[in-house]
Amino acid sequence: MKRRCISIFVIVLVALLSSCGRNIPLEDLTISLILGVDLDDEMNLIISESSPVFNEDAKKNIETYQLKAATIRDSRKYFDALATGEVTAAKIQVLLIGKRVLEHEGWFSILDTVYRNPSFSINTKVIVVDGPVSEVIFYEPDDKPQMPLYLKEVIDKNYIRTRTVESNLQVLHRQMYEKGMTPTLPKIIKENDVKFVGVVLLEENGKYVDALSIQETSFLLILMDKQKQELTLSIPITTFTDEGGIFNKNMLSIDISKVKSKVTTNYKQGKFHFNYKISMTVNIIERIFPKDKVKEAELKKLIEKELLSRFEAIIEKIQENKIDPIGLGIYARAFQYEQYKKVEKQWGEALSESNIDISLDIDINGTGAIK
Amino acid sequence: MIKSKITLMQYIFLIHGVQMGVGVLTLPRELAENSGTDGWIAIIICWFLSIAASLVIIQIMKKYPNGTILDLLSHYFGKWIGKASHVIFALYFALLANVIFIREALFIQAWILPRTEIYIFILLLSIPSYLIVRKDISILGRYSELIFFMTLWIIIIYFIPLKHANWLHLLPLVKEGWEPILNTVKTSIFSFIGFEIAFFLYPFLQRKEKASMGIVIANTISLLAFLMITIGAFVFYSPDEITQYKEPTINILKVVEFQFIERLEIVFLSIYLFVISTTVLPLMFMTVFCTSQLAGKQDHKRHLFWFLLVECMFVVLFPPTYERNTILQQYIQQIGLILAFGLPLCLWGYVWLHGLFKRRAMQ
Repeated sequence: MKRRCISIFVIVLVALLSSCGRNIPLEDLTISLILGVDLDDEMNLIISESSPVFNEDAKKNIETYQLKAATIRDSRKYFDALATGEVTAAKIQVLLIGKRVLEHEGWFSILDTVYRNPSFSINTKVIVVDGPVSEVIFYEPDDKPQMPLYLKEVIDKNYIRTRTVESNLQVLHRQMYEKGMTPTLPKIIKENDVKFVGVVLLEENGKYVDALSIQETSFLLILMDKQKQELTLSIPITTFTDEGGIFNKNMLSIDISKVKSKVTTNYKQGKFHFNYKISMTVNIIERIFPKDKVKEAELKKLIEKELLSRFEAIIEKIQENKIDPIGLGIYARAFQYEQYKKVEKQWGEALSESNIDISLDIDINGTGAIK
Repeated sequence: MIKSKITLMQYIFLIHGVQMGVGVLTLPRELAENSGTDGWIAIIICWFLSIAASLVIIQIMKKYPNGTILDLLSHYFGKWIGKASHVIFALYFALLANVIFIREALFIQAWILPRTEIYIFILLLSIPSYLIVRKDISILGRYSELIFFMTLWIIIIYFIPLKHANWLHLLPLVKEGWEPILNTVKTSIFSFIGFEIAFFLYPFLQRKEKASMGIVIANTISLLAFLMITIGAFVFYSPDEITQYKEPTINILKVVEFQFIERLEIVFLSIYLFVISTTVLPLMFMTVFCTSQLAGKQDHKRHLFWFLLVECMFVVLFPPTYERNTILQQYIQQIGLILAFGLPLCLWGYVWLHGLFKRRAMQ
């Protein structure tokens, strides 16, 4: 009797078991891999998504839709009306944001669902599109893998080579809330091809202010002390007069194998002072001009001068725009807490008035296999 | 009277298991809300306090080594106070178990199975709970020990997000002075609540001379776990950002992604359910231990069955919400504070005075 009771009980429980009820076969899902957020000419929010098609009969292996919607979640009902399967956002790899969106304050709140809904992946790459998002998301080149894969690879590769900032939803969230730092995002552009062109600098509230080229981004990353395995810089040594002609005879490429960038923070005379001490070990990897043009000891000085002027140009850009993509505010908070707290709300302004000095020390390690 | 025995290891992991529960999932946020990234200092203060209270508990129990706190209270204060203490402890453990049990189900619902009803979780969790708790305390001790070693590897996963860490977030130490830190102690002390089960475990312990050492080790293991998780969360999230997350301890794992697995936080939480069970199950045991002693029965199986049934009925009749659960938790924690810190101190004073007078009378 007891055993029978237990077996009935078990059967009832098995019938109650969860997760058997709502299974969806993979081929019935429309798995969005790219989500695009943009504004059209009348300032309507445009949401687009792109997902692979798992169907033998379909000619194309990717389906892309674009539509007007009030919010990201709101767009799902329209996508469901269009797409073959149930649209799911759990596997989004890339979030494209149109530059036009960034030109308006308060755009960040549109991403609320991405953070609120636990099923969104927080590692989704965030990329800014200079121009309409639709041009990128509908672009189907013959010689490239599908757009989501391509975009992810491009950003990852440039990240490893110290050319773009780390940018995913998690990092964006941190930078948006952090008072001592302003956000930066990688930027792509669609001309003949879709290509990565540098990073955009945003204000504290997320509004677009300026952009950096690829090489400038490398310098920014050194200032942030975030260099990765590989870092190459190509610079003209401007002291030599370019003799003109087709080939730039004053170009030099250096491969930076080791960088140490240290900041000391001080507060004197109503101003923050940041002193950078950057030391690099470099290898000369390409030198177009002949060897006898300069002695090695002088070359070191020349490289230092060139690099320094580039660092200073970036600092100037930052201070002019009253932003802090480096995160010097985090240093200020850590070492000059009392003073920082006073200006926390207008940190960009405080930074623009502060002194940022850079001293550079280069050690030339090798000059390559030929003389 | 007491037949089953527990080893020192089981004793340590039982106490640590009860301390390590659902609270740790929200702990970094609660600390950051009160004292920013200095919150971890408050944990260390709490650790000192809980060790002091724990040692007092052991000192009290030494006076009456073969019985639990219930027997001790009956011995010193007579039958009626003894009976009342049975009821109070039973109610306290029952409510605490109920709060954590339901919170566990709420977490599963929020993170893993959003479309399943709470009562189904409670029903399903009740079955293994029944199977483990119906036996004596040594089974529970073995279970806690096993789960501790089985889930130890979770620590490794926690080190992965640290590569994104910025240690500058922790500086400067003691930003706004000690006042906010001391205020934080009020909330973070609840993380350590659970050591009061030593009142009940002591008579079962095989080698009683190690009881003090054991309880210090248990508290220290909990301290290390709390410190690791809070400091990990503080250096990972920006101090301005961390209060945005309800359960930063789970959120932090969302960045961990391997080629072969995504949404690792689901896997983590599923395994963490075992850790939560080492909190809930001893509390359930203590509840039915108290009630069955009150009823004068050796066997607590039947009481356990009724307890779980009532629990299921409760969630069916009053579908729990996160807010209601939090309010209930805050109340029960206040009672916990009295039982874990207030009671030992008062009792210690009484027992000491009692001994003093007795010696006088003898002379």
